[in-house]
Amino acid sequence: MKKLLPLVFLFLSASIFAQKYYTKTGRTEFKASVEAFEPVGAINNSTSAIINIKTGDIASLLFVKAFNFRVALMQEHFNENYMESNKFPKATFRGKIEGFDLSKISASKEYTLKGTLTVRGVKKEIETIATFTKQGDKLLMKASFGVKPEDFDIKIPKIVSKKIAGTINISLDYEFIEKK
Amino acid sequence: MSLSKKSKVAIAVILIIAITGVAVYKYSMQPPAKIESKKVDFTGTSNELLSKIQENAAEWQDKIVVISGNITSVEDKGITLSSSIYCQLRDSTLAKTLSSNNPISLKGRIIGYDDLLEELKLDQCIIQ
Repeated sequence: MKKLLPLVFLFLSASIFAQKYYTKTGRTEFKASVEAFEPVGAINNSTSAIINIKTGDIASLLFVKAFNFRVALMQEHFNENYMESNKFPKATFRGKIEGFDLSKISASKEYTLKGTLTVRGVKKEIETIATFTKQGDKLLMKASFGVKPEDFDIKIPKIVSKKIAGTINISLDYEFIEKK
Repeated sequence: MSLSKKSKVAIAVILIIAITGVAVYKYSMQPPAKIESKKVDFTGTSNELLSKIQENAAEWQDKIVVISGNITSVEDKGITLSSSIYCQLRDSTLAKTLSSNNPISLKGRIIGYDDLLEELKLDQCIIQ
């Protein structure tokens, strides 16, 4: 039995790996623009995410500093004043795709995505619809949801509050590949 | 010139205000600096960087590095050095031209240690 144990573990870990799809370069975008003012928004093209195909568990992580803005000054304010990215470098999401079944995804299929978003160390429950598409070896996921700055204790000074939308729209566009 | 002294002064003031206005606008709307023009904080091999990161990871966020090492795997938009440094290329089409087990030197920005995939992550990488 003692000799068998390592073998069992080897087999287990191999099968766990085979059940995962991942990305390192997921696109996470946020938009907080108000009409008639300078567009406020940025794109993060370096979001990591893993899906466990068997259970539908999903985890993702992004670095706040990797959000690219069109304007340097806006990027600086975002990092220093609002997100405090030196203190809170990461934003994470952990959740579940309900009823996920890879074998049923071909053209495009919608699933409910539920989980906890952590930004600036503050947790918030999120529920949204995610659309999955299978394209060759790739599994594509698209979703969007709205959050409010006050959900994460982000204080927006009165002077700029008119230029930043009350609800910030976050959209996800991830291309997963199988983890070998 | 038939303009009075008063209107000459007024025109000059308006011009100065307009010019400073444009200058301030241009300055405040500058795009983020490109990686080429950023000061390098560390130069060395990918293995040296890994051992330094292990001492104090938090200190290395947003640092610009030039690293050389062996390509251990090539992916869609980036490459991995020393099995645990993922370098996302600024020009993702370049990934196709690279192959494993070859030496390379890159300039990039450390965005942090990704504990989900257990690797150090760099973005905006350009080949040196």
